[in-house]
Amino acid sequence: MFNKPVDLAGAAAFVVFMALLPLVFGGNYLIGVLTVSVIYGIWAVTWDFMSGLTGRENFGHSLFIGVGAYTAGFMNTSLGFNGWWSLPAAMLVSVFFALLIGLPTLRLKGPYFALAMLSGAVIMQRLMLIFWEYTGGEEGINGLTPLIRSQLGFYYFALGTLVAITALLLALARSNWGLILRAIRGDEATCQAAGINVTFYKIASLVISAAFAGAGGAMYAHYQLQVSPQLFAVVTSITIITMVYVGGMASIYGPVGGAILLVLLTELLRNFGEWRLMIYSCTLILILFFLPNGLIAPTWRRFKAAWGRRA
Amino acid sequence: MLEILIVGAVSSAIYAMLAVGFTLIFGVARILNLAHGSFYALGAYGAYFFTTHLKLPLLPAALLAVALVALFGILVERVLIRPMRKSQLAMLMITLAVALVIEQVLFLTFGSEYRNVPAFIDTKFTIGGVDVGGARLLALGVGTVLIAALWLFIQRTRLGSAILAISQDPVAAQYMGIPSDRIFAVVMGISAALAAAAGVLAGPFLTVQPTMWLLPIVKAFAIVVVGGLGSIPGSILAALMLGYAETIVAYMISSSWTEIVSVLATLLMLMFRPAGIFGRRAPF
Repeated sequence: MFNKPVDLAGAAAFVVFMALLPLVFGGNYLIGVLTVSVIYGIWAVTWDFMSGLTGRENFGHSLFIGVGAYTAGFMNTSLGFNGWWSLPAAMLVSVFFALLIGLPTLRLKGPYFALAMLSGAVIMQRLMLIFWEYTGGEEGINGLTPLIRSQLGFYYFALGTLVAITALLLALARSNWGLILRAIRGDEATCQAAGINVTFYKIASLVISAAFAGAGGAMYAHYQLQVSPQLFAVVTSITIITMVYVGGMASIYGPVGGAILLVLLTELLRNFGEWRLMIYSCTLILILFFLPNGLIAPTWRRFKAAWGRRA
Repeated sequence: MLEILIVGAVSSAIYAMLAVGFTLIFGVARILNLAHGSFYALGAYGAYFFTTHLKLPLLPAALLAVALVALFGILVERVLIRPMRKSQLAMLMITLAVALVIEQVLFLTFGSEYRNVPAFIDTKFTIGGVDVGGARLLALGVGTVLIAALWLFIQRTRLGSAILAISQDPVAAQYMGIPSDRIFAVVMGISAALAAAAGVLAGPFLTVQPTMWLLPIVKAFAIVVVGGLGSIPGSILAALMLGYAETIVAYMISSSWTEIVSVLATLLMLMFRPAGIFGRRAPF
């Protein structure tokens, strides 16, 4: 079922399509939208790796994003490091936060992890406002330097990062590791009885997810050239979860498609302006009711099945 | 000293009203309701809307707001949550989505600026040399009465015993002929009404704006973790602890640090005693 030539061909076609889009249509506006969609892709795929596979819902992915972005902001402006140091630093700090919340909560059954992540993100956003002397308050931190001067160059860098992260997480998800994570989702007690250190696997997958999400946050900071407390907002997490649901939970590649599709669609809905979040929330409710398996991954599976019958 | 005592009691009462409903619907129906804070927000906005736009007197406006929010809670449970009951994740997602929809509706109708909810009593009272706003004292009094009434209702009435029975053993309760779906609706109504009442009472002295649902959810979660998920006495005690801890931190150190108290309490409690003070069983 995995690693079929069809899958590889589909992935290659997708990457070529994404790489050619700005060349064909051009324009900095389109490149900007595509860059944002690719960064959302990184966030969605990392969310899916932890929460989609193990079924431990993370309601505060924005915590890692915000922490990564603020790390980049501090490193790049007040500490004066070169922009490229932001990425490893953001990963480290995000991992620290992942351990801080994961260690006490992931060993427990029940909704503790979900709520602790949500609380963590909310409190961090508040702290960014309360300690405005250091964090710049509502305005955040401005004046970051771009990683790559050319906008197109940065887009290709982001696209390359997304492809690399997705390939790595897919490989992990389809290895023994992924099997164990899926088994945890199915029946945690049985896994424990089989001698699997369930807590270790859950925390390790959260750490991986957080590290890449933090790197994505740092990339976003260097793309926007500023960071603001809004990065920690619950709506950021919900947007990502909606993208994963649209793409298809636990499929890893689906959320990438979901993220790109939703970002491009919202650009088309720009005229609706303030209705955007409303549309997102309602989409989420509708998907939960009518398409619980998502849209993109099932479509791709159906396409593959049809292709298999034809060949 | 006396000031800390009074201010702490007021915030404890508000927290308790929020946390008791939050823990009740979880203990009885296993619904972790992330839209709970939205009921609080809707209560405050309801009181604002009925008094300023429909020019109703405050008391009927407040009662109307609470009643409508209770109805809305029952509706949400019936239409959106019940079909999702088989999956804990789907229930969390749907309640969070509802919370966001409500935030957006409030934002689109009232805008993001702060709104003023009129207070029942505008005068200040002096107790032992300390000035306390009448609205705060009223919140303390009404909150205490409502929680006591809820406690008596659960302990003394037939419906209350049914609620208790389901929270203790849902399957056995169903065998005894308790209509659990109807009980869930009742509990959801009570929980939403309590949250809305907290919103109406706290509205005059707290900020009323579309994102006001978030912090109460965080606080309710912290209280429920400390008190034990599903335990009403536990959440009352924990609400007192958090209310006073925050007040003491605000007076002794700085009000900037109050938000950290709840997170710290949550993390420490989950590390050392995840079942909470009054948790019936260890959750792991």
